[in-house]
Amino acid sequence: MRFHVVKRDNWPLWKRALAYLAAVVAALVIGAVILLAIGVDPLDYYYQLFTMGTVGNKIAYKTYMNYIKEFLPLAITSVALSLAFKMRFWNIGGEGQFIMGSISAGYIALKFGASLPVWLTLVLMCVVAMLVAGIYGLIAGFLKVKFGTNETLMTLMMNYIALYVLYFIGETKADWNLFLQETSSRPVFVNFSDTVAFPTIKIGAKFELNICFILALIIGIIIFIYLKHTKQGYEVSVIGDSAGTAKYAGMKVNRIVLRTVFLSASLIGLAAAFKVGTAGVLSTAITDDVGWTGIIVAWLAQLNTGMIFIVAALICVLQHGSTVAAATYAQVDSSFANMLQGIILFLVLAADFFIRFRIVRVKKGE
Amino acid sequence: MAEQYAIEMRGITKTFGSTVANKNVDLAVKNGEILALLGENGSGKTTLMNMLSGIYKPDSGSIFVDGKEVTIDSPEDAKRLGIGMVHQHFKLVDVFSAADNIWMGKEKPGFALSKKRYKEIDEITKKFGFELDPEKKVYNMAVSEKQTLEIIKVLYYGAKIIILDEPTAVLTVQEIERLFGVLRRMKEEGHAIIIITHKLNEVMDISDRVAIMRKGEYITTVNTAETSEQELTEWMVGRKVDLNIDRPVVETTRPLLEVRDLTINNDEGATAIDNVSFYIRGGEILGVAGIAGCGQKELCEAIAGLRPIVSGQMIHKGDNIVGLTPKAILEKGISMSFIPEDRLGMGLAPSMSIIDNMLLKKYRDSKGPFVDRKTGREDAERVIKELEVVTPSAETPVRRLSGGNVQKVLLGREIKAGPNVIVTAYPVRGLDINSSYTIYDILNKQKTEGVGILFVGEDLDVMLALCDKIMVLCHGKVMGVVHAHKTNKEELGLMMTGTLDLSEKYADKPAGFARDTLFEDGNKKEEQE
Repeated sequence: MRFHVVKRDNWPLWKRALAYLAAVVAALVIGAVILLAIGVDPLDYYYQLFTMGTVGNKIAYKTYMNYIKEFLPLAITSVALSLAFKMRFWNIGGEGQFIMGSISAGYIALKFGASLPVWLTLVLMCVVAMLVAGIYGLIAGFLKVKFGTNETLMTLMMNYIALYVLYFIGETKADWNLFLQETSSRPVFVNFSDTVAFPTIKIGAKFELNICFILALIIGIIIFIYLKHTKQGYEVSVIGDSAGTAKYAGMKVNRIVLRTVFLSASLIGLAAAFKVGTAGVLSTAITDDVGWTGIIVAWLAQLNTGMIFIVAALICVLQHGSTVAAATYAQVDSSFANMLQGIILFLVLAADFFIRFRIVRVKKGE
Repeated sequence: MAEQYAIEMRGITKTFGSTVANKNVDLAVKNGEILALLGENGSGKTTLMNMLSGIYKPDSGSIFVDGKEVTIDSPEDAKRLGIGMVHQHFKLVDVFSAADNIWMGKEKPGFALSKKRYKEIDEITKKFGFELDPEKKVYNMAVSEKQTLEIIKVLYYGAKIIILDEPTAVLTVQEIERLFGVLRRMKEEGHAIIIITHKLNEVMDISDRVAIMRKGEYITTVNTAETSEQELTEWMVGRKVDLNIDRPVVETTRPLLEVRDLTINNDEGATAIDNVSFYIRGGEILGVAGIAGCGQKELCEAIAGLRPIVSGQMIHKGDNIVGLTPKAILEKGISMSFIPEDRLGMGLAPSMSIIDNMLLKKYRDSKGPFVDRKTGREDAERVIKELEVVTPSAETPVRRLSGGNVQKVLLGREIKAGPNVIVTAYPVRGLDINSSYTIYDILNKQKTEGVGILFVGEDLDVMLALCDKIMVLCHGKVMGVVHAHKTNKEELGLMMTGTLDLSEKYADKPAGFARDTLFEDGNKKEEQE
């Protein structure tokens, strides 16, 4: 018996959606087998994970608030990355840009938090973080248009530069270093959450919605319109599709590349400012890996802005839920979520293959 | 069995999704025979041949080699059965030498690469009567050398049945002659050869029999000696087609575009266009002939403002256009479309819809920050209707269209912009007869409306019929501008290779200088006289 692969016509949306859903379910089944093998009841574990332990929990509102804190940077970073990916500029430097944004936002908060009004400090944090992250991303963009360097390598390496700058700041006790607590003999980041924090809107008795959530939704809508309907967004698509054609059409390709890379990186800087402005403290793990996870989110969502929000929300449920579930099931570490994420990505890609192709048995001797 | 075929295909069907690429196709070739496979774009010729070379597998039907039924599951199977294919897009490793490109596909290449391989390949090359340096790297090769390498490769692997997919599309007249010589010799040695081509004169020239396909279906096979170009066309298209290209006589205007003493470098910094002067009037088609890579591309790019010039002048209706941005030149009404070898690389964004491609050169014109897709849609629908573009909808990505339709979209957009000068390079590259004639009609219509057209072409027969004047380039130099109705293929061929130089033919009038030029110094000179 022999098989061969045959291209498929376009499937209707519901069939495609079903295929992706099947992939996710299959990933969960594989996860369940692993859970069974280590003696954990998968149904209960998944229940804990997907409800994030909120059912029957008196402080469930806190879980939701923490969840949103994790969701925001990931969603904005993914949207920002999709902007560059759409232009086929492989910005792998989300981590570095996020760190640079965090450091500069933190600096503003520590330097001016005590003297300026809170709202002004916050605006300043956002603006400076966007500028610094944007310029940091622009370096790779500039090298690409000027010397034709590979942006994947450049942005990747610059992640580590940024990371070690952050380590350096976090480890070096010195007079200039206002990031560390003066009172502590060990290097500890200053917590400024009492003086500088994004305002929240009270919904119901206890739940407080961070204003950044609304801002993130607005950013999502703006980027969606930007990519779909503006001239600049059109230019991004054309360059992503064929840079030669863009040149023929009289586009200033290099300028557009730089503009888009700056926009992408500075949005990541904004995500960092939101993060710093809600956490109120820096840490060496400030990024929460959003620069990496964001890449997965952007591709799983196929660079569709609306889908990015949905996928980011689901990935966050996995990540946040797994930490909650780990409280009940000590033998399942929260990195189980990362593993599950990997299996999902793998199977969704497989589903993608079956959406495009089908496998047919060869009939013999006809 | 009355006759033993080298290869025979019976009732082959192949579908891609709901598209039927081949439907119940029969095909047979004898040893020592050249079979031409003729059909329009998208009629399934390449698909059929890919099933012989093991790239695709048929859904149903059977294949016989030397009378025995075989299954071809992979290119290795095809190789074992003695089937070799020279693809339209060469399958070579650019950074490898000629010998290594052959070596790597060998059954038992051995562990170490020894110097002996160069000698062995060289001997093989000579044995088959070719000329090729085995140590030459592929990226240093001209197109015809790459093709020679591909042919040596299949012969070296011991192919008895050789398939060539549009081998002449990228060759010059002389190179085609040489290739046909090779094919005839292989035929005499008993090889079975299948050649895919669009060009009827080549079919008549080289083949013994012709198999015709239309829309995935097998139509018939005829002996070449017993048919005519007209008859073949009718089978291929399915209806009567007028094979004459019109050359309407139009009153010409004063020069629209004038180029003087233009020198341009190529990407490597060598001189691509050397001191070239010419002019285009409204209502005429100026053909540019020359062997591949003699500066046509650089000339087109320079006119469109995409490539800086070294020296010289270019004026459009008397205004200087040297140093203007591509956008500014576009706004003056100079449209440039260049169909590269891959046909999609320049001028179109393949993954984007027809609508978005219509907007490419005018998306800036609308007010505000938003793209005006409404006029884009109107344009797209008009082009689809007027040029009979076959597409499911205006939203379909251009990459999903067939070659002819892609080129119609491109030309349609250029014409929609209402240019007064059209620079077009290879607009019918790879197109079948029907689509080619549509393109010629489009160009002629523009010409009668007073547009000046620079037509860079490769098919001399077409240029002789379509163009008013033909400028011949050789190594970036003008060999002369001749009237199309006063010249012939042989003269053009001699000029293309630089054997004949007519640029000094008229001592009183330098070639490429218009008598009623709009250059200021030119006017003065006339006044003084």
